[in-house]
Amino acid sequence: MIWEVFRQEKPGDYHRHVGNVHAPDRDMAKLFAQIQHARRMQTNSLWVVPQEEVGEVDTEDAAFGGRTDKAYRWAMTYNDIDSSFAQEVEDSEAEQREAARKRREQLESEGQR
Amino acid sequence: MNGDADGVTDAPAAASPRPRRPRPRPAGRAGGELLFRLADDEFVHAERLTEWQIYAPTLESDLALANIAQDEFGHARLWYDLLQELGYTEEECIWRRDPDDWTHATLVELAFADDGWGDAVVRTYLYDTAERLRLEALVDTSYAPLADRVGKALAEEDYHRDHAVSWLERLASDDDARARLQAAVDDLFPHALSLFAPGAHEDDIRANGFRRASLADMRAEWLDTVVPTLEGYGLVVPEPDDVERPAARGRDRTHTDDWGDLQAAFTATHREVDFDRPARLRGEEA
Repeated sequence: MIWEVFRQEKPGDYHRHVGNVHAPDRDMAKLFAQIQHARRMQTNSLWVVPQEEVGEVDTEDAAFGGRTDKAYRWAMTYNDIDSSFAQEVEDSEAEQREAARKRREQLESEGQR
Repeated sequence: MNGDADGVTDAPAAASPRPRRPRPRPAGRAGGELLFRLADDEFVHAERLTEWQIYAPTLESDLALANIAQDEFGHARLWYDLLQELGYTEEECIWRRDPDDWTHATLVELAFADDGWGDAVVRTYLYDTAERLRLEALVDTSYAPLADRVGKALAEEDYHRDHAVSWLERLASDDDARARLQAAVDDLFPHALSLFAPGAHEDDIRANGFRRASLADMRAEWLDTVVPTLEGYGLVVPEPDDVERPAARGRDRTHTDDWGDLQAAFTATHREVDFDRPARLRGEEA
């Protein structure tokens, strides 16, 4: 049985895929992964995941990002603006952040009741 | 098997005379005995384990056991370095030492059985359980240079024990594999008992506070751990006091025939190359 191994270097980092180990079960996979994928690297944590539990979608299944021209998604419009306009954008974003914060607080206070 | 080459060169002999160190005082002799027991066990155990490289059942188990062997070599390094602070040279400790001077337990010198993965598993389990007890008994040692190093070695022992127990558990769940474990227990248990045989300076080791537990207490604690564990896996463990003990006890410098072969093998390169000084891997102080 193959277990995919994910290594986290420091607390808070993502676990990144570093390879795999053959092992009959999770406990042995954890033991083997320590030696094979962590003994020479700075490591804070390891995950072992049964390979068969990994869901995959690849280029045969999907057209990642679509196939048509998505140039309109590049926000080039804002590359050449004066500072007053930028201020307007920032104010608007600050407003939305504030609104989101209030929504969150409200949800939290409802959850506590 | 002496150090003489074929006399083909007149280059300075490797074994040039060295000033003899002063004869150690009684506390020094006791400390030396304690350190040699630790160091010799680790070195010889590791030396045997390396025989599994490329032969272990899977790539992963091969790497894991090789890594354990490296850890044990590292522990041997800790203890041989302390012996060198007492005045011994590296050659005197290992490479040009009389094989009849080594004090490791016979458990670690035995050649593996032909299909001996079960042997490796049982051996590491018996040994690593004893090693943990032994290191724990040194945590409060009065011998300060030793105390500094014990924690580091202990920190690596958890993995060794987890590894051995994991394999025991899995092999024991299969009838054929359990039969191999049983054969290994039958072969190795009498030799493992010699881990706790006293040396000539045992009383001084205790009187100086170098080790806080007696060998008898450590033996009892070891038996309280390994016997129920092995029995729990369906294995039969011989009655310790009734078991027929091998003539060689290791701690008194008597050894089995396997030891002579092993010692000749691991010192062969040193003798053939005829180093002025033994090659040393980088250690903590290097």
